[in-house]
Amino acid sequence: MPVHESDICVIGGGITAAMLVERLAELKPGLRITVVEAGRSIFDRDNRGTYRRRALEYGEHPWPDDYIEDQQAKGMISMTMAVGGQALHWGGACNRFSEEDLRLKSLYGLSDDWPLEWAELERWYVEAERRLNVAGDPSPYPEDRRSGPYPQPAMPLSYNLQVLKKWAEQSGLKFSPLPLSRNIDKPFGGRGACGLYDTCDVCPTGAKYSPDYTYQQLIAAKKVTLHDRMLVRKLVLNDGRDTIAAAQGYHQDRPNDVTEYRARLFVLASGQCWSPHVLLLSANSRFPNGLANRSGLVGRYMNGHKFISAQATIDEQTFPGQNMTHSLISREYFRCATNTPFVRHDTRVWDSSAGKEPRLRAADGRLLLGDELLDEWRSRALKGSAVRLRAYYDTHPSADSRLTLDPTSKNRYGDPMPKIDRQLDAAAAAREGATLAHCTEVFERMAKASNGRLVSKPVNSNYWDHPAGGCRMGTTPATSVCDSYGRTHDHENLFVIGAPTLPTGGCTNGTLTFVALSLRSAEGVASALTN
Amino acid sequence: MKRRQALHTLASAAAALPLLRVPLEADLSAEALAKVDELTSDQAFVLRDVAATVLPSAIGRKGQDEAVDNFLRWIRDYKEGVPLSHGYGEPRLVKSGPSPAPGYAKQIAALQAAAKAKGGRFGALTLVDRRALLDEAFTAADVRNLPGRPDGKHVVADLMAHYFRSSGANDLCYNARIGRQTYRAIRVTTVRPQPLSR
Repeated sequence: MPVHESDICVIGGGITAAMLVERLAELKPGLRITVVEAGRSIFDRDNRGTYRRRALEYGEHPWPDDYIEDQQAKGMISMTMAVGGQALHWGGACNRFSEEDLRLKSLYGLSDDWPLEWAELERWYVEAERRLNVAGDPSPYPEDRRSGPYPQPAMPLSYNLQVLKKWAEQSGLKFSPLPLSRNIDKPFGGRGACGLYDTCDVCPTGAKYSPDYTYQQLIAAKKVTLHDRMLVRKLVLNDGRDTIAAAQGYHQDRPNDVTEYRARLFVLASGQCWSPHVLLLSANSRFPNGLANRSGLVGRYMNGHKFISAQATIDEQTFPGQNMTHSLISREYFRCATNTPFVRHDTRVWDSSAGKEPRLRAADGRLLLGDELLDEWRSRALKGSAVRLRAYYDTHPSADSRLTLDPTSKNRYGDPMPKIDRQLDAAAAAREGATLAHCTEVFERMAKASNGRLVSKPVNSNYWDHPAGGCRMGTTPATSVCDSYGRTHDHENLFVIGAPTLPTGGCTNGTLTFVALSLRSAEGVASALTN
Repeated sequence: MKRRQALHTLASAAAALPLLRVPLEADLSAEALAKVDELTSDQAFVLRDVAATVLPSAIGRKGQDEAVDNFLRWIRDYKEGVPLSHGYGEPRLVKSGPSPAPGYAKQIAALQAAAKAKGGRFGALTLVDRRALLDEAFTAADVRNLPGRPDGKHVVADLMAHYFRSSGANDLCYNARIGRQTYRAIRVTTVRPQPLSR
């Protein structure tokens, strides 16, 4: 049996692992770090222009073989499993949560507080923004105070978004350019500047932060050893002790051979689905419910946030296609008074071409050809603008919002695959209708400012976006899986980092928060090694 | 495409939902596998003739020919059995279906025959007759709207989709230099786009 030894074994090769390793290599030069990732490395940057073109022309997936067909979960919102993870094709949105997210229990009597102070998390937001080279403007809301500036000014607003900002702010809400992890006008971190290709899911220049760049840089500098296409199926304990002895990996080309990864310390960085999954799969006689699971909370409180979407039309003219990956955000409703019904959400605005696409038939069913088609298209396209609206709203999971092992779905090894079933807690379920009514009122108020109207009835989403949870952090072993650094209560040399540790999922994009927490976890990991 | 590769990719496509809703049993036949993946020059000539009717006159005859050439290139470079975008939220694995070229060839032949029955080549018919022919062909192929991108249902609808969904057509519609999905300096997008005529 091949044995691979290192100081730290990181299981999972996504954005949080990239940030953790980068930081650890600075804190502890010479540390032997191994990253083990089930998916493959897609480091062929030269082909990205071709992948992009074929994605546009044929709808082909722009990240070839970034999935493992028999390693999929029910309830998962992306199939991607590769070095870089879902951040290979993220949009780069880098919104912060707000202090309220960390104090839901103490402020509102809802869900739970996080086991760290806002000032502490805010410090790590600044560090995360620096490493991701986030482009943003200071928030117009004074409560969003920052201890450090953004590394770059915001992405300049397109003409369309300037028009929409003027329109949207007539509602009384204040809007800002969405903060983005994107090199605006000059290279940074070995990545190029933005060329506005409108395809951030596969960026030809690397302007948008993508973890594959970080891994290649760390590998070239010999700061990490990467073992890709190696699925860790189980963690095993030292004899008679509760510390982790090894991770057992299986390479895709050698499915019958186990490779043992031994390390002083293990970090699970496999995201909200696969981190709790491997803990549950690692059950043994001493931990019959899975590792790190004396509390019974591994795989529980699966969170994220739901959202409400709407389309509006307004009188002002815009020109769809200018920079459709950018948007506006208002943080007006991040705060909620403690003496009013609870509702928290962000408010997002995109320009849109909905209802303004070419059509083959006229309203009376007549087939349109050539100039007729163009004339009919123009008659709709040049009449006002379509606007896409969305609110990510704060939804809280119940303990029964769970990831479980599904005996009806197994991979090639016979391991049961995860099944995720997200459930609201009673208070969150009770306010679903009121939240929808509130967001509808906000959207209608915005639309009316320019003789506009909503063209469809806003509806609650049927899935939770930016998923997190499953290994919640907390202050006590009875109510959480790990502490605020991600160190598990049950195993002193096992950390879980990033998305799984969140007790609640906030009301805006989560990646910046996952990264900030992971950078903070690096301090905890380094400290644990020292001690 | 080599026969072995064609068999392999078609077998892969059979295991997945096809992009092109062509019955897999028909495309796995020896007859389908013997087909080439490009249109012939005669078939391309018919498409150029049709393009003058279905594409806008504003791009001129040269622009219409270029649009046909771009579409022919699209057909030639089509790959079978390739994973399509998984999507986000409710992802699923879907692979591209068989090449649309054989089906297109049959549709072009049918269009030629129908035009001949009406008195000559397609472009020489009255607009009423041309519209009627295409309306009938689209209805038979279950084409109800302009596809988001060519989907193999009908060659003419796909030619139209390939052009009208393009960045150039978007600019023509708005009479503005928007340049959707093309390289642009950010500052260019911060002002109202210039009209095309400048």
